[in-house]
Amino acid sequence: MKIGRKRKSKAEIPTSSMSDIAFLLIIFFMATTKFDVKEGIRIVLPQAAAEGAQQAQTITLTEKEMTRMQIMPDGMIVVNTAAPRSYESGELDALIQQKLKLNSEMIFKVITDREAKYNDMVRVVDRLKAAKIEKISLSTN
Amino acid sequence: MANLQRKRNRDVAIPNGSMSDIAFLLLLFFMVSTVFVQEKQFWVERDRWPVAESIERIPRNHTTTIYVMRDETILIDDVPTRIETAEDTFVYSTLMRKRDEDPELVVCFRTDRDTLYGVMSDVMRQLQDANTLLVAFETQQRRD
Repeated sequence: MKIGRKRKSKAEIPTSSMSDIAFLLIIFFMATTKFDVKEGIRIVLPQAAAEGAQQAQTITLTEKEMTRMQIMPDGMIVVNTAAPRSYESGELDALIQQKLKLNSEMIFKVITDREAKYNDMVRVVDRLKAAKIEKISLSTN
Repeated sequence: MANLQRKRNRDVAIPNGSMSDIAFLLLLFFMVSTVFVQEKQFWVERDRWPVAESIERIPRNHTTTIYVMRDETILIDDVPTRIETAEDTFVYSTLMRKRDEDPELVVCFRTDRDTLYGVMSDVMRQLQDANTLLVAFETQQRRD
């Protein structure tokens, strides 16, 4: 009887498809990755008056120093003492440039009515920011 | 006499032995940087944000988000609240705590564009009281 020694076969894990699997996973993560950087309009709010502090000093500013932009509930804008009217973005840009020609350090006070839409306020602040204005004050009436 | 032997064509091969190492490095990068954003129960969809042109990029690591819905519900830290009276100071107390943890905190508003400004004004007043003065109004980029 022939008793032959069995040959041990070499056990191997096939690795040739490893890079295919890796690339498939990369494609998945590339497709699902979201670099969640927020985008928006930045504003720095003024500090609240400290409790118990003496009444804040009142400063009177002229139209040459400050422009009041009052946003009405229907989206109309009152600029200083002018009649309310609606402004397109281009018209707002022209108005802002006109005010900046009077005074390059002009302060813009945006007074938004409590019943006005948030979008109307953002639209005005956006045009002010587009004109590189930093002196913006937000308030309501 | 010149040597006129024909030159042998050599096999040109790009070494691809390290291909899987590169692939796995890229994979690790994407795995580490991937953020699966879970939507909240209350949510202001992106197409409801205002549109603006002069937007800035705000790094996420010093931010907290306040959602303001059209029905004036405010969502902060997944807790819905409303500001109806002067005693409703949940925004104030939450922001005080958050600002103590991170003095460079930027509060981002995700607000429906048709929300009335009154509620935004109330929230911003509480932010001022909490001395959290850096705010950002999240907007969509205008595409004309």
